[in-house]
Amino acid sequence: MTNSSPGAAGPVAGADGHPGEDLLASYAAGTAGTVTVWSVEAHLTGCARCRSALSAHVDAERLAHNRSVLLVRAAIGDGSRVRRVLRRCGLPDHVLGLLAATPSLRRSWLLSVMGVLAVVAGEAAAVRYGWITAGSPGRIPGYPGQNLAPFLLVGPLLVLAGVAAAFLPMFDPACRLAAAAPFSGFALLLARSVSALAAALVPVAAAAFLLPGPGWLPVALMLPSLALSALALAAATALPPRAAAVMAAILWTVPALLLAVDDVPLLIVQRNAQFGCAATLCACAVVLVARHDRLESGWMRWP
Amino acid sequence: MDEMALNVSTAAVRAEGLSRRYGATRALDGVDIALERGITGLLGPNGAGKTTLLSILATVNEPDAGRVSAFGLDPGHAAERVEIRRRLGYLPQELGYHRHFTVAAFLDYVAILKEITDRRRRAEEVARVLAAVGLEDRARSRIRALSGGMRQRLGIAQALLGEPDLLILDEPTAGLDPEQRLRFRELLSSLPGDPVTVLSTHQADDIAAICPHVVVLLKGQMHFAGTPAELAAAAAGRVWAAGERDDRAHLSWRGGDNRWRHIGDHPPTGAELVSPTVEDGYLMLSHTAGAR
Repeated sequence: MTNSSPGAAGPVAGADGHPGEDLLASYAAGTAGTVTVWSVEAHLTGCARCRSALSAHVDAERLAHNRSVLLVRAAIGDGSRVRRVLRRCGLPDHVLGLLAATPSLRRSWLLSVMGVLAVVAGEAAAVRYGWITAGSPGRIPGYPGQNLAPFLLVGPLLVLAGVAAAFLPMFDPACRLAAAAPFSGFALLLARSVSALAAALVPVAAAAFLLPGPGWLPVALMLPSLALSALALAAATALPPRAAAVMAAILWTVPALLLAVDDVPLLIVQRNAQFGCAATLCACAVVLVARHDRLESGWMRWP
Repeated sequence: MDEMALNVSTAAVRAEGLSRRYGATRALDGVDIALERGITGLLGPNGAGKTTLLSILATVNEPDAGRVSAFGLDPGHAAERVEIRRRLGYLPQELGYHRHFTVAAFLDYVAILKEITDRRRRAEEVARVLAAVGLEDRARSRIRALSGGMRQRLGIAQALLGEPDLLILDEPTAGLDPEQRLRFRELLSSLPGDPVTVLSTHQADDIAAICPHVVVLLKGQMHFAGTPAELAAAAAGRVWAAGERDDRAHLSWRGGDNRWRHIGDHPPTGAELVSPTVEDGYLMLSHTAGAR
């Protein structure tokens, strides 16, 4: 029971058929060669005496450290299902690790976005099917009986809110650590913003697709959403981040409201507005490339 | 003064003429500081500018005026600032946490920010710092479930990630119980590589116990730089123990032995002169600065 057949040790066996103390020591220290390791392990599987002798060679401190490392790896885990899928798609694991601290990627945030969308899209659907009557801003030339004004206002704003929550320091409780860390603040901001943008665009586009309205609506909402988010980021190279986000929100809300009151809310996503949004997006991209160093975190005068 | 100027120009980390305003408040007013390898304690009351000074040294805030140099690198230049940050461990005074994170996931996140991109190495580093602050069995706990003292230890742990060469700790002992404070002192004095360490505290006994160098900051200005013994000596001959309170003293308080301790220029009746502590020296200095 305690001893196996000595022959099981193969080439590592000493005169008595068991590995010697020196061999066990080098095995425990991890300095033995691969073939020797296999032989020792084959022997250890069937020999309790050698297993017991091996334990005397194991460094207790190293064992405790290894245990801690295993506990830490178990605690960190492999991440969420989405993170595992993205990792398989080739995205670096450490970048995905940084996204874990983005509030607008959390389930609670995404559920809130869907809640808001459900309300505005539900209202538009209710008008379309005649369950409720729209007020004056709901009458859209060319699309009788539809009220898309609230949805057109809120959709891009939700995308902007997601991006703003991803880059505003006020939503990152550990922002001072990020500010004092060597990882590029601009890269962090961009990774978070792009992921938040993607996460918010999906439900907005899906709601636009499901709504009774023009078939091009989901596509037409993309450019204003992208332009608004880019505008907030570009403005943050010159203004404090919160002021930049608020300014972008106002620049969208005021024309959207004025057009809705004027009974033509769809103008905001039609051809001329699309060109305007595309031009804004390009201009903001140029500003971001030219002034990206202003978005590096820390060493700032504003607290 | 010449000797101090020489120290400032040759020290591992130094700042000269640092000033910083917040609106009408002058948080720092022409501060010169030199930090050598080993531990420097930064003493000062609330609002003295300690946190502002440390955040500037940690490259988080930019001064309105003055220069900083760490290991010959200038944080005013973007590339050199990143180099400083690669060697930096920083515990801000009010460190916020992502409360839904587990302890290990939070440290893993900070390790990524410190550019430790290899997963295995990150796990090794996280395990090392958790063991250093005695939180190894809390790796899986959510941060929101930790006590205040544990969170503070977690903050210290994240500062130790990557074995920094410059360790800036803003009130690291706040919220720690006496036993944890002792463990913290032991931890700091046994750090490998003898990093340049600066810690701010209200606790003069922390300074006396672990800091070979001490700096006193009052109203945004530096009032003392030297050893704890030299700080204590600032009150030499002016600390008295007596049975009664004396109104002429600058400061008096009743100790645990029911006797009054006075700091002042005039000995109270029947008082005996006692040897000053670091706290006495600091209080004497604050009083003198306040009277100016």
